Amino acid sequence: MNNLSQIISELLTGGKVTKVIGYVKSGSRSKPFISSKAEDAGKFIMDETCVNNLAVYLTKDEIMKQGKVAVVAKGCDIRAIVALIQENQIKRDDVYIIGVNCQGVKENFDSNVLAAKCTPCKVKTPAVYDVLIEMEKPKSEPSKENKKEEIEKISAMTDAERFEFFEKEFEKCIKCYACRQACPLCYCEQCIADKSVPRWIESSATKRGNMAWNIIRAFHLSGRCIGCNECERVCPQDIPLSLLNKKMSMVAFDEFGYEAGMDMDAPTLTGNYDIKDKEDFIQ
Amino acid sequence: MEEKIITKENLIKLSTDLVNEGFNVIAPSEKGYTLLQTDPLLSLSDSQPLPKSPFKGYLFPKTEPLFYYKKGQHDYEFVDVNLQNVKNIFLAAKPCDAASVNILSKVFNWDYKDEFFDIRADNSLVISMACSTSDEYCFCTSVGLSPVSTKGADLFMIPLAGDKYAIRIVTDKGKSFAEKYSKYFSDGNSVESEKVLAGIKAPEQSFDTAKVKDWLDKNFESEFWNGIAATCLACGQCAFSCPVCHCFDIVDEDYSYKEGRRMKNWDACQFGLFTEHASGHNPRDNQAKRYRQRISHKFKYYKDKFDEVLCTGCGRCTRGCPVSIDIKEIVTEINNLN
Repeated sequence: MNNLSQIISELLTGGKVTKVIGYVKSGSRSKPFISSKAEDAGKFIMDETCVNNLAVYLTKDEIMKQGKVAVVAKGCDIRAIVALIQENQIKRDDVYIIGVNCQGVKENFDSNVLAAKCTPCKVKTPAVYDVLIEMEKPKSEPSKENKKEEIEKISAMTDAERFEFFEKEFEKCIKCYACRQACPLCYCEQCIADKSVPRWIESSATKRGNMAWNIIRAFHLSGRCIGCNECERVCPQDIPLSLLNKKMSMVAFDEFGYEAGMDMDAPTLTGNYDIKDKEDFIQ
Repeated sequence: MEEKIITKENLIKLSTDLVNEGFNVIAPSEKGYTLLQTDPLLSLSDSQPLPKSPFKGYLFPKTEPLFYYKKGQHDYEFVDVNLQNVKNIFLAAKPCDAASVNILSKVFNWDYKDEFFDIRADNSLVISMACSTSDEYCFCTSVGLSPVSTKGADLFMIPLAGDKYAIRIVTDKGKSFAEKYSKYFSDGNSVESEKVLAGIKAPEQSFDTAKVKDWLDKNFESEFWNGIAATCLACGQCAFSCPVCHCFDIVDEDYSYKEGRRMKNWDACQFGLFTEHASGHNPRDNQAKRYRQRISHKFKYYKDKFDEVLCTGCGRCTRGCPVSIDIKEIVTEINNLN
């Protein structure tokens, strides 16, 4: 922890960054914290409770307008930062990345199990950072959940069964848009769900309004979702959003060999075409 | 307060009767407050956890049609919604949720009597239960409530030893209910139940709402608000999981060119576009202004208008906040500033 505090203190006193976005303790959890004061340096921590994807703050004008910011970021968070750079939302120079050699974080604070996303994680040591810090060794156990298996089970359903499955899940949706707000890749200044003239996506939390919203969000994230699972974590209705989003990123990989947020210089999947792209689906 | 006794066995029989009579019997289950006919009852004890969502959705649904319309050649045909068949019984509600009914009723009976809320509330009976599961996020005692408060309840249950419950009759509605189903009740006295209540640990009081309101009255422009809730993501979780938040949006939805319906949907003052005008101007264009609004509405404006604090201290806003913004912490800070 001294290491992190020292790094932050130096960054702020030296004026290298205008503010630091990191985590501080909050009861038995942690929470995001933004500070431009060097004297706050000692408050920052990095442990298994630090689950939030702080990259979400990098697309907010209020936070970025004063100049370069530093952000504490795990491998998954850095994938989001890289994806934002790929999509020209921020420049590499806008952010000082305090990368974390991550050993896993908790999503459910009432349990002693790490998040399901951490078990198959390939970016525990991130590829991109300005400085790398260690985190406190997790006290929780790795998760035994297998999302891929769950997805394969659902893929094996008939179209009708699958539609019914998701219709039932999305019926619980209350249109709080926490999924959208927590997602670093949902940065549209005007979200299509908020456009009212004309209204494209029903705002009512009805069966059809919920299907429309959740499916369209999954579509807009196809090939862009970096798998931080924040959407599922923040959903107050416990809707298994990761199933849909992970399925779409599996399709992006299987069909196009593409993974978002892995290579800063790679063109985005849906923002680019290649003369060698498959055309066999055009009948 | 008149007290009856009901055994656990009789309570189950009574609940089954009520379900068969067509009541929506709503009780805490693993999924929250759900219908007894679809989800099994969690053990009815003072130590069952606070359901993740409040039961306000049964009185003020997340989405509901106000009327249906059909376009004719030259005019519209309107069809009203029929709410007469709704009858709810809230069973073993937490005191912080029971209190919400009285509090919400004030705004829904202000300059316009909201029949959509009133019909549902009038046809609902609230049976609350003493609570012993307060955690670090609860603060009912700071907003004039407690784990044994009977505010908003028609009947109040206290678990006793030996698989039985004391039921205290709080309102006339509760009395009529007890009389109608008197075969399930026996007479009680308050000796044992008082002992149980005395043993319930309440959260320590963190702030004084009078002090807080006093500060809010004078400090709209205070520097305290600068940068408050800077990490807020402007999702609607706090408002939607709050037992007493009640802002709504009205929209018309077409089924086709010729038919549609007018909907009343939950809205949240924390949404970025909540106060955007048709002109494009937005008076609350940053999170600090929006958060100031949230605190002021709950601890000042609602008190000014209706003499109620728009908060029951259930702590759901903080427990569910994606970035753990703690309303108790912030209001306590305000209390201490005064």
